Amino acid sequence: MTSAENRCSFCGKPAVARLTGPERRLCAAHFIEDAEARVFAAMKDECMVAPGDRVAVGLSGGKDSTALLLLLHPILPTLGATLVAVTVDEGIAGYREETLKAAEALTAELGVEHVIVTFADLFGKDLDRLLVGREAQGCTVCGVLRRRALAEGVKRVGATKLATGHNLDDEAQSVLMNVLRGDLPRLRQDTSTGQPGHFVPRIKPLAVLSEKEIVTYLLLRGYFRDLPECPYAGTALRSEVRTMLAGLEHRHPGTMLRIIRFRDGVRRSARSVEPVKALSTCRRCGELTSGEVCQVCRLLGQGG
Amino acid sequence: MQIILPDRSVRTLSRASAPIEEILLELGINPTTVIVIMNGRIVPEDVTATEGDELRIVRFSHGG
Repeated sequence: MTSAENRCSFCGKPAVARLTGPERRLCAAHFIEDAEARVFAAMKDECMVAPGDRVAVGLSGGKDSTALLLLLHPILPTLGATLVAVTVDEGIAGYREETLKAAEALTAELGVEHVIVTFADLFGKDLDRLLVGREAQGCTVCGVLRRRALAEGVKRVGATKLATGHNLDDEAQSVLMNVLRGDLPRLRQDTSTGQPGHFVPRIKPLAVLSEKEIVTYLLLRGYFRDLPECPYAGTALRSEVRTMLAGLEHRHPGTMLRIIRFRDGVRRSARSVEPVKALSTCRRCGELTSGEVCQVCRLLGQGG
Repeated sequence: MQIILPDRSVRTLSRASAPIEEILLELGINPTTVIVIMNGRIVPEDVTATEGDELRIVRFSHGG
């Protein structure tokens, strides 16, 4: 296709993207409108937010959470809900400083209340110190502690929902990783309902947008920043799955969406057959766990 | 045509024209992992680049 033929399906201006389902070419303005409309529709279809909700956005300052805050900022008031941003500072030298600054600048620009919780404050050490001698486990350790830190941040701000910036790629990768690990319980786990007294419901409004669509959205709105990559990234199974899935998505467009539909189908059918295992409380910290001691306490060496 | 790669190095391709997707694959880049800016404007990868065009390839790293 020549540049002259590459025109928006709606207004005839030069197109910035070609999307499928339905097939369409979109100019910058229509791409932004399309992305926002899809997120809004998903939020309404899945009843993610109710009037009176106080929604905490998990804001790392990276691309996904930046897009999430930009998208939710105008949408939430129309749904009768309010917005607050929570940032977890894990303490990753050479990485977190810059994203933290980006998060602070964005919340200041939008006038959104912003709370920062740190690993050092919650767990006594920052991530770099917690990982000494076990750097290869970086993503696993960080994932467990970050979930706890976010939950703590949500409690501090009194939020009723937690919105995270997981995109379509993230979600499809997680499904494949659970399949490759043979982890059916995690594949079935649905965090959108929450756990009264422990976790507020989690919502993922960006799960209808691919990573590429999110970056396009940020570039078009002038918010894309080439931030450093986490030094612990690439040590996990996720990076292998990510490469594999990107290849499949290119050769077989729609693969990621079909994987999500498969997961939803598994959840629906599994729910009617076998109840999810009941959770107990950790005997060290009192948080929810499937065993006697939760993962956080075990990682912090407080399992005894 | 001139190509600015994600690492900011510059390559010159001596071809009259080629679809952007074809160029990316020749460079070993999966089109779903990058965004291409042609002459300052984001374009879909099925657009054909011609002599004199400048392509900037933006790779988005994970995280966030």
